[in-house]
Amino acid sequence: MKIKLDPRTKIYMIFVVSAIVMMSATTTFLWGLKILITMVPIVLLIAEKRYASALRFFALYISALILTFYFLSSESTGLIRALLTGYCGIIAQFLPAFITAWYVIHSTKIDEFMAAMQKMHVPDGITISLAVVMRFFPTIKEEYGSIRDAMKMRGVSLAGGNAAKMIEYRMIPLLFSCVNIGDELSAAAITRGLGGEVKRTSVVELKLHVFDWILILLFSIATVIFVLNKYILL
Amino acid sequence: MKNIIEIKDVSFQYKGSEEGLLNNVSLNIAQGETVLLCGASGSGKTTIIRLINGLIPHYYPGDYSGTVLVDGHDIKNTELYDLAGVVGTVFQNPRSQFFSVDTDGEIVFGPENIGLNPDEIRRRYNMVVNDMNLENLMGRSLFDLSGGEKQKIACGSVSALLPNVILLDEPSSNLDWKAIEDLRNEIIKWKSEGKTIVISEHRLWYLKDLLDRVIYMENGKIAGDYNGDEFFAFTDEKIRSLKLRPVKIEEKYIDKFSDISVGKTVQTDFDVYGDSIKLKNFYFTYKRRPYIIRKKKLSADDADILNLNMPELNLPKGSVIGVIGRNGTGKSTFLRCLCGLEKECTGEIIYRNKKYHGKELTNISYLVMQDVNHQLFTDSVEAEVMLSMKEKDTDKCNDILERLGLLEYRDKHPMALSGGQKQRVAIASAIAEGAKLLLFDEPTSGLDYSHMVKVAELLRELAASGSTVLVSTHDPELIELCCNHIIRIDDGKVISSDFCDCAMDLRIDKDYNLDNRLEEDNDNAV
Amino acid sequence: MDKKKLTAKDFITVGIFTAIVFVVEFACGILGFIHPYIVAPYVVMIPIVASIPMMLFYSKVDKFGMITIMSVLIAIIMFVTGMGFLGAPLIILAGVVADFIAKAGDYKQFKLISISYAVFCLWICANYFPVIVTANSYKESLLEEGYSAEYTDSLFRAINSKTIWVLLILCLIFGYVGSYIGKVVVKKHFEKAGIV
Repeated sequence: MKIKLDPRTKIYMIFVVSAIVMMSATTTFLWGLKILITMVPIVLLIAEKRYASALRFFALYISALILTFYFLSSESTGLIRALLTGYCGIIAQFLPAFITAWYVIHSTKIDEFMAAMQKMHVPDGITISLAVVMRFFPTIKEEYGSIRDAMKMRGVSLAGGNAAKMIEYRMIPLLFSCVNIGDELSAAAITRGLGGEVKRTSVVELKLHVFDWILILLFSIATVIFVLNKYILL
Repeated sequence: MKNIIEIKDVSFQYKGSEEGLLNNVSLNIAQGETVLLCGASGSGKTTIIRLINGLIPHYYPGDYSGTVLVDGHDIKNTELYDLAGVVGTVFQNPRSQFFSVDTDGEIVFGPENIGLNPDEIRRRYNMVVNDMNLENLMGRSLFDLSGGEKQKIACGSVSALLPNVILLDEPSSNLDWKAIEDLRNEIIKWKSEGKTIVISEHRLWYLKDLLDRVIYMENGKIAGDYNGDEFFAFTDEKIRSLKLRPVKIEEKYIDKFSDISVGKTVQTDFDVYGDSIKLKNFYFTYKRRPYIIRKKKLSADDADILNLNMPELNLPKGSVIGVIGRNGTGKSTFLRCLCGLEKECTGEIIYRNKKYHGKELTNISYLVMQDVNHQLFTDSVEAEVMLSMKEKDTDKCNDILERLGLLEYRDKHPMALSGGQKQRVAIASAIAEGAKLLLFDEPTSGLDYSHMVKVAELLRELAASGSTVLVSTHDPELIELCCNHIIRIDDGKVISSDFCDCAMDLRIDKDYNLDNRLEEDNDNAV
Repeated sequence: MDKKKLTAKDFITVGIFTAIVFVVEFACGILGFIHPYIVAPYVVMIPIVASIPMMLFYSKVDKFGMITIMSVLIAIIMFVTGMGFLGAPLIILAGVVADFIAKAGDYKQFKLISISYAVFCLWICANYFPVIVTANSYKESLLEEGYSAEYTDSLFRAINSKTIWVLLILCLIFGYVGSYIGKVVVKKHFEKAGIV
């Protein structure tokens, strides 16, 4: 089954999960709630047919939880255990936010995201700049790939162990390329009307469907319960 | 017929540049005409295009006089974004002109910018996709498309704004033969819709029978205004005297070189070359078989997954070897493997009884990339060459720079040089490293005729001095000018490897040595 | 045309440099992944390495708003990539203040650009805000389960609500130092090549 969510719902999901990961669960009930919330993006990943990543995240999260509970229940002494506790703690704490973010990034087209921002009355300038950022991540990857190849051929990948040179040889050609591409991109974009006085429109139609409302409701209730249970009814 | 473009007494000079680029130019173009702007690099073709689409003076500032009227708009007093539905431009570089990440977003980009309502945008989207046969490109990431496919999307994106005037600024520069054919069809389509089309271009053959007028530019002036058929009937000598790329002889070469099915037998008898470079077991694939314990080395048995499959190949030392074949058949993979960029490649090069494989390949071969900007790292030409030397040797460095005509630029930043000079800096660093095999990936894309001849001469000169040069190219003219051996690649295999007659013989022209030619090149450089 | 109004080209420039700065952050972040709490790579490396693109960016800024927009973009991207929203006010505040400081020198006086960049670098500390909040909350739960205060302290030695001030100051210092390094590199390459 393919679940098509509105980008605004996804943004709300990230917001809620980012908030919940910062509150640590103290009771079994709260842990349950947290795990339930974490399962939502994993299920959504499965719905997106991204089985491998869903499984990977699930396995990582569960093993972090098990290790955390195991090490927390015994006397944690020794450096390795302390380190491990730190790692697992971090993963168990923050992974839900990363899974959600990963799901959102990989299931949302950039124009959908732009349309959502337009709907939320973010100024066009910010939307345009953000679109450029998104376009430039793959561009930087491509350019950097070529530069790395060129460095390999010249045998300067490690620049004789000189860290400053290592950075310089990578950064300089990359910046030259990006500035060039940027100039040409600007020229091509403004001849197609970018930067006009009129408000940009979007061909992407956004509508909150039943599933969006269910998720929004679920996440809202979870937040309320979490906060009430942890801070008020304690 | 009504003039849709009127350029009246325009002079223009880019800000910060000494020379006047356009000198009192006047040009009228009638509604529905298809016009070619030709002439050497720097003759002002691109400047004319920019005058019409308003990038001059709004994006590229400079000293500007005269008026330009396009479809009733006075360009100087019209904001660029208001011209979006009037003039559309397809640019040279497919990589840099798209704004979105996916193809659908790119087609609707223009209409969204001018604030059309979503229903109208969808209508235009469907129209463009149908008209230009883009169905199979839709819904894909632009980063996964080939240069030709990207250029098709660029044409579609321009079409969606329904401009009356369409400008193409050297649109074929980065395209292979197949993609050029598509481009030609797109132009035919626009022509049939009655659009006014202005094309600035170095490659001319694919425009045959499409043009109403040909404007020949020289030093910022219009030096010729011909009827399209009249122009294509010019003799080779006449075209050559105009310093243009050929208009028709090329087609013979396109047939000869692109028709891969009539390959001759693979040349295996390497003794005839005397000194040869032997390639053995070049196997490579992008799709690895899964392995459990030990990685199995690729071999001829994996034929079904191989992207490069060359059990044995001999290259004649000291010659210029053209590597041809359709896009995506393994030319680039071959070059990448040869210079040791693909770790998984199993090949070894045997040269004078010494074997090189794996990482050692980077020591004996060097690839001059299509975008040479990626391989220049330092802040001066001299430092760039020195970087390649294990033992820094100023004398040797100067020798190399002198040979390539770069000595006077030794303190300049490589990025401040012209394209041709940058290419030579890359070659200089390759020679300094001691590379025996010099590989060139499309060294002449986007060059005009005289620059192409210079590259051809340089390649011949490098070969004459003992290097072996492999050049992958889509330019039949270049093959004709300098290659004395041709390797044809299809589906990762060498399907023929032959001698080839080279039209240009450096030896004949004894008085005209490399230094003179390079000096000329430097003079031409901006 | 209003000279002070941002054009499409400016938005594109901001987008490009934001992407580059983020890639720098990401690359430094990977180096710092030996332990999640190792902070040196962040507050030292990012201000210095990012100074090269940022000084090039400053040379292209001539209107108010470009630096501000960059900070907003960074805040948005941090939020969307799951790094939380607590740092957003700090990031945007740093951006706006940096913008005002540079504007005071008409985006040309290097002294002010240096200070502006140092202030801008404070955004890096926003990475730690969620960790600090979580750490406090996490510590509580550990204490409740009977762990010694000493042990829990050691877990969060590097980042807590006290050390964050040190980190902020480090960012300022290395940002200031970085601006000089960036300037040298821009001069060595981009000015020499005639790009700037």
